[in-house]
Amino acid sequence: MSDLTYVGKNIPKVDAKEKVTGQAMYAGDLQFPDTLFGKIVRCWEHAHAKVTHLDLSEAAKVPGVVKVLGPKDVTQKLYNCGVLDLLASAEVGHMLGEIEDQRIFTDYVKHQGDAICGIIAETQEIAEAAAAKVIVKYEPLPVYLQPEESAKPDAIQFDARKPGNKAFQLPEGMFPNNVYGWGDVDAEMTKAELVIENTFQLPKVKQCQIEPHAYVALFDQRGRLSIWTSTQMPKLVQNKLARLFEMPQSKLNLIPTTIGGGFGGKLGMIFEPETCAMAMAVPGRHIKVQSLREEDWVASESRHPGKYWLKMGFLKDGTPVAADALFTADTGAYFTHATGVPFTAGAWLIGMYKYGAVRYKTNTYYTNKAPSGAFRGYGNPQTNFVLEQTVDQACRQLGIDPVEWRKRWHKQVGDDGWCLGIPYASSSLTECLERGAAKIGWAEKRAKYANQSGPKRRGVGVSVMNHTSGAMPMLLEHTVAKVKMNEDGSAVINVACSDVGAGSHTALTQIAAETLGIPMEDIYIDNNMDSAGFDVGSHASRTAYVGGGAVMKACEDVNRQLIERASERLGIPVDQLEIKNRQVVSKDGKASMSVKEICSVGVSNYVNPANGERNGVPGQIQGYASHFPSHNSPPFGACFAEVEIDIETGQTKVVEMVIAHDIGRAIHPPSVHGQLAGGAQQALGMTLTEEMRYDEKGLIQNNSFFDYKLFGPLDMPKLTTILVENPDPAAPYGLKSVGEAGTVNPVGAVANAVSHALGIMFTEAPITPERILKAVNERGIK
Amino acid sequence: MKTRLITLCVNGRDYKLEVPHNRTLLQALRDDLQLTDTKYGCGSGECGGCTVLINGKDNVNSCLSLAAEMEGKHITTVGGLTKNGELHPIQQAFVELGAIQCGFCTPGMVMKTASLLAHNPNPSEDDIRRGLEGNICRCTGYENIIRAVQKASQMINAGGARS
Repeated sequence: MSDLTYVGKNIPKVDAKEKVTGQAMYAGDLQFPDTLFGKIVRCWEHAHAKVTHLDLSEAAKVPGVVKVLGPKDVTQKLYNCGVLDLLASAEVGHMLGEIEDQRIFTDYVKHQGDAICGIIAETQEIAEAAAAKVIVKYEPLPVYLQPEESAKPDAIQFDARKPGNKAFQLPEGMFPNNVYGWGDVDAEMTKAELVIENTFQLPKVKQCQIEPHAYVALFDQRGRLSIWTSTQMPKLVQNKLARLFEMPQSKLNLIPTTIGGGFGGKLGMIFEPETCAMAMAVPGRHIKVQSLREEDWVASESRHPGKYWLKMGFLKDGTPVAADALFTADTGAYFTHATGVPFTAGAWLIGMYKYGAVRYKTNTYYTNKAPSGAFRGYGNPQTNFVLEQTVDQACRQLGIDPVEWRKRWHKQVGDDGWCLGIPYASSSLTECLERGAAKIGWAEKRAKYANQSGPKRRGVGVSVMNHTSGAMPMLLEHTVAKVKMNEDGSAVINVACSDVGAGSHTALTQIAAETLGIPMEDIYIDNNMDSAGFDVGSHASRTAYVGGGAVMKACEDVNRQLIERASERLGIPVDQLEIKNRQVVSKDGKASMSVKEICSVGVSNYVNPANGERNGVPGQIQGYASHFPSHNSPPFGACFAEVEIDIETGQTKVVEMVIAHDIGRAIHPPSVHGQLAGGAQQALGMTLTEEMRYDEKGLIQNNSFFDYKLFGPLDMPKLTTILVENPDPAAPYGLKSVGEAGTVNPVGAVANAVSHALGIMFTEAPITPERILKAVNERGIK
Repeated sequence: MKTRLITLCVNGRDYKLEVPHNRTLLQALRDDLQLTDTKYGCGSGECGGCTVLINGKDNVNSCLSLAAEMEGKHITTVGGLTKNGELHPIQQAFVELGAIQCGFCTPGMVMKTASLLAHNPNPSEDDIRRGLEGNICRCTGYENIIRAVQKASQMINAGGARS
């Protein structure tokens, strides 16, 4: 049993009541007097075209239009919506070939949805009406929808700095010959007694956070630019906007609002640049930009699609002698995350198994699709679809149980992690596999579904995954936490950490309560970005881990000061004092001072008129930590899925799923269960139903929830989540991450269950009824 | 655009409004009355985020309903379920069961649940899944929402419901 009071407890989230009553304020809910409405006018009819003529005069004449802004009416500076440039040194950025290639309004359309101009009007309706009056003439250009098309020598070059439209390969200075891995793959592969080689096609899928992007901005007479946004990364966006508009960060007032889901979709800048540019054109007026749902698919980032080739060699006993991989990724129309995702997709491969040798290469190309970017899992769901199906193919041909193979060959404590050089400090994956297998009835179901006939076929599959808690050492990890002790002994924690809905503010409050020994009700998380120190923001499953580490250290700093104050007042050495039940007490139990009294007299430091002495030690207590974690405490997990496939309709029903997650310690168990269940919903979509489809002109065909199928309540399986808790030695309270993990291993588990049911491995996701029917018919399965 | 004078009864209070004929109920609530507890998620009836309760029982997507058609009907939004600061049993169950993550779909989910339980006080799990279909959540996988609806049903049947 844990002796912890707040950590690990099943308590309501700190923000649940304001959300359930509709009182939580999302950016689109904000109301200011005299607000103007901004409309970003996009190109809907072309995916690749030059603007030859832009006439805003008719739009400007619409009554109620305040201003129209073309490309030259706003800053011409280039930027990159992503934030990786702020998380690595300039030398590393240069080596990676990071570039800025986006602009607020463009005269060169590279994807459908590129922004052409902006309209500012007294009402939303007027702005929309004026947008319809904008006259644009285009010179259409050839459209490239796949890397093999844009890579052709005669293709139009997207950016002179990226010849051949190749945005990225692993940098020569760090990874000679574009290789991440170890050993001599060619030599080891010759020893293989079984080689499995396939090229997988991965879909372009969308975050689909339910809150459409919305902002309010104000450029005031003092020269401060305020922006209300539900960004996942308030500090980095504040930094990037200040840089884009060439003002000191102290003048860029970013006010984070409640976040209606992120999943990477609000990582970095989204439509903040356009909104701020419009605000600067009408100083003194609030301007609101409420984007439409249908804009989201064309104008913001998605998961990286691409072709992923994997060749694995095995001995007859299952030994994975070599793995050889090439991910040809599609970054879309702009650079954005062209480096990060293609690199980490390989890192998750590297981090999973004890290959004799492994070689991962990646090439990233531009295409005329909406930019690819961050989406929960950051390359890991892609790798899971590829690697876990390949392992199962080998197991089938070698007659080895897939669970037993994974138990034998997954990396263990002390093995090199996903980022080579940081060994795993903990791993409970074997326990996850064992408990998950027992729960779903693995052995019985594998045997039972081995030979089936009839129209409905069942199958059961397994998949494992590794992930990370924070991006260290690949990227900067840093959070500043400040704890102000009020004069009544309550505490305000000032951090820039955002809560995308995953419950991080609840977890941070629990960690603070536990460390300070005061009730959660007496603690408030303050997100004021003027006063908050640095924080990377919500990405890489980092907030509970890095933010939590910072809050813990800052609270320990408070405790140290409390003990020093009590020591001075009581005349007892600090090593003889401890904090218990909101009291600083001597270890012999004879003397004590309440935390409240220390905090109170620190603020109201009166002089006693009778003796002329001060009533205690002066100074308000504030704890501080500028925390750089020493590790990335990776979580592991095993997912089991059972499916039923109707071979007459091709329909796949996911019947049951069991997810066992190596959480280290669950700070807030309901949130951990919720992350796994919610992640599964996204993973099931990617595996079975979700895919952005384009016509030959590069125009999207399914930018609505009607045509882009997300899993609904009836589609979701019976789901059991198992939390395997063995605290990690390098983590605050032993916690490991869960945020992104949920989207990863259901992908491979469902694909493997489909394969088990039909005896067919699908190399193309999503595994739609059409693809199943085609495969079933081709093989004459009846 | 022609306009019409209407009276909207929202959460027990009458509001007089002049609205264009094509004004949706969602626009009237959010933009005209500044009642922002009802959310815009898609504007085309596909996500259910804007679900409100009509006459205490039926649910509609307010983005697909015309404000002018709501004359004479009682509209309840999620804010209206809370009486004197006290959470409705459905809201209480959502809080207790961890059914809320980002919270953006929550108002619609709660109002869909209110409609579901008004029609069927003892729904099976399958009834609940069917009843919530049309409301999309991208955070929870629906699991904790379904448990919350079950709990709310028990709480209301045990006498927790208020008039």
